[in-house]
Amino acid sequence: MKSLTGKTLLAIATLTYLFMWVPTIILIVFSFSNDKLGIRWEGFTLKWYAEIFNNAAVRNALEMSLIIAIITIVVSTVAGTVTAYGLYKYKFRGKEVIRMSLLLPIVMPYIVTAGALLIFFTRVVDIPLGYPSILIAHISFSTPLAVFIVLGRMQRIDWSLEEASMDLGAGRLTTWRRITLPLLMPAVIASAVLIFPWSFSDFTITFFVAGVGNTTLPIYVYSALRWGETAAVNAIGAIFVALPLIGLLLINFLQKKRVI
Amino acid sequence: MENRESIPCVELRNLVKRFPGVTAVDHVSLKVEKGKVFSLLGPSGCGKTTALRIIAGLETMDEGDVLIDGKVINDVPAYKRDCSIVFQTLALFPHMTVEANVSYGLEQRKVPKDEIRKRIGEMVDLMGLGGMEKRRPSQLSGGQQQRVALARSLILSPKVLLLDEPLASLDRKLRKGMQVELKRIQREVGITFLYVTHDQKEALSLSDTIAVMDKGKLEQVGTPEEIYETPRTKRVADFIGASNIFPGKVTASGNGKVQLETEGGLRVIALEDKDIRSEEVTGISVHPELVEILPEGTGLEGDNRFKGRIVEMIYQGDFIETKICLDQTGGLITSYLSSRLNRETQFSPGEEVLVRWSPESSNILLG
Repeated sequence: MKSLTGKTLLAIATLTYLFMWVPTIILIVFSFSNDKLGIRWEGFTLKWYAEIFNNAAVRNALEMSLIIAIITIVVSTVAGTVTAYGLYKYKFRGKEVIRMSLLLPIVMPYIVTAGALLIFFTRVVDIPLGYPSILIAHISFSTPLAVFIVLGRMQRIDWSLEEASMDLGAGRLTTWRRITLPLLMPAVIASAVLIFPWSFSDFTITFFVAGVGNTTLPIYVYSALRWGETAAVNAIGAIFVALPLIGLLLINFLQKKRVI
Repeated sequence: MENRESIPCVELRNLVKRFPGVTAVDHVSLKVEKGKVFSLLGPSGCGKTTALRIIAGLETMDEGDVLIDGKVINDVPAYKRDCSIVFQTLALFPHMTVEANVSYGLEQRKVPKDEIRKRIGEMVDLMGLGGMEKRRPSQLSGGQQQRVALARSLILSPKVLLLDEPLASLDRKLRKGMQVELKRIQREVGITFLYVTHDQKEALSLSDTIAVMDKGKLEQVGTPEEIYETPRTKRVADFIGASNIFPGKVTASGNGKVQLETEGGLRVIALEDKDIRSEEVTGISVHPELVEILPEGTGLEGDNRFKGRIVEMIYQGDFIETKICLDQTGGLITSYLSSRLNRETQFSPGEEVLVRWSPESSNILLG
């Protein structure tokens, strides 16, 4: 790191890192500030946290977001894993079409997906706006993520392990349960970890399909900002950062303990 | 009882397997004797692994029958077959300990826990894996992983153990050691081994019987000595290292000898074989280590003596791979010159020499 190029690279890397993290850090710092507008340091306080936890609207929004995220994670990882297995292991007509079309929800602008889903739910099929519509929307944009993460893992698996299991006398189901699934587990967990923030913090699509009175945390933040409650929003923002971070650390810890 | 003994452990009848654009296994029939080591030897892509996978039930065939212990098992799924395969990649379960890997098959067979523990103990002793039981495969050396893979299959006492180039991933020295180990283990457990390899030396040192395959077809079946000393086709001769091949026809015979005229016009002498009709002969092959190099002045009288010039000498350690251009035909012949002997004779490239081999060294080819 002594050459000029080295120094320049270090400077660029530092700047990039600061650029990424400073706003977040400022947000977290100001969430502990006594300033009503949440943009100046006026001394340490926990009152904004107390306020949001005493606020029933925030609690309900948090609860809704968590419930949706958890159901989405479970359904999407299971469906995604099974889909990936089918796409990888079996040959059938139209396989490539299905594979490519699965990519679509990932690359399509959210606003298009959101509008399409809303029209679909209200005009084509009669899905009540609220939990059902939000869940379907979240699962439909999260599952492809799981499919591609698990597919990526499958490309690096030694498939003779499955054959070895059957050769040793295990049937298909036992082989799947004792060999295939444990081998795919890191990818399954990785997709769960990625889907959580995706679902938990999605605003655009949720906002379109939520209907009246169904407020997830991002929607609450949006409306709170419109009413000028900056300080409380800082605290919520801090939670948004903390939750996935805790999740990541937990996964890391579990992985180290179980050597996945 | 005698009748049962004569039933082959594994039998293939007219086995055919086609992949798009290629016939991987082309009407292969063979019998593997009980308690012996049988090798399928051939270059990569010759169909030997496919044949093995068909026997294991991991691949379906297009035609023919697979028999184990006299019973047709064409429709028996892999997990119910009385055989076990050791994969080239070993395929040890990475998320399980050595113990769990080895007991996996017994658990599937619902063997009681105490019995499993006892048999693992025995297997660990046989394989020299003591103290490794709680380790994961990634924490073992290549040789130890090899033993775990063998143990995992052998603990089931299969009728036949199928081995798919199991030593390919080991370095040369370790491979030598494992070959000796494999022989010992096979003798101790007495299980039939069906061994797939592309390494002729490995096949020669391990096997009771060798079947040479090429392009999906069985070329020759015989003992290691037969395969090495009397390869019957050009492909087998070439593959086994009898690399001096002279296509030609028999022109005369008598006194227990036959004379061939090669395509290049050389007259070579071989011993007569009563079982071979001279019209069938398509040429001869000679192992390079049987070709002698003599100084230029030596007389030309006698069988198989030809003049030539050394064009290349490649040092190989214990011998020098020497290529000689024959004056009469312009073709090359290879001789493995002993490094020790050449310290006295001091041949060098460009030198005019005489090559010679005895009639017994000429091996008659039939195809």
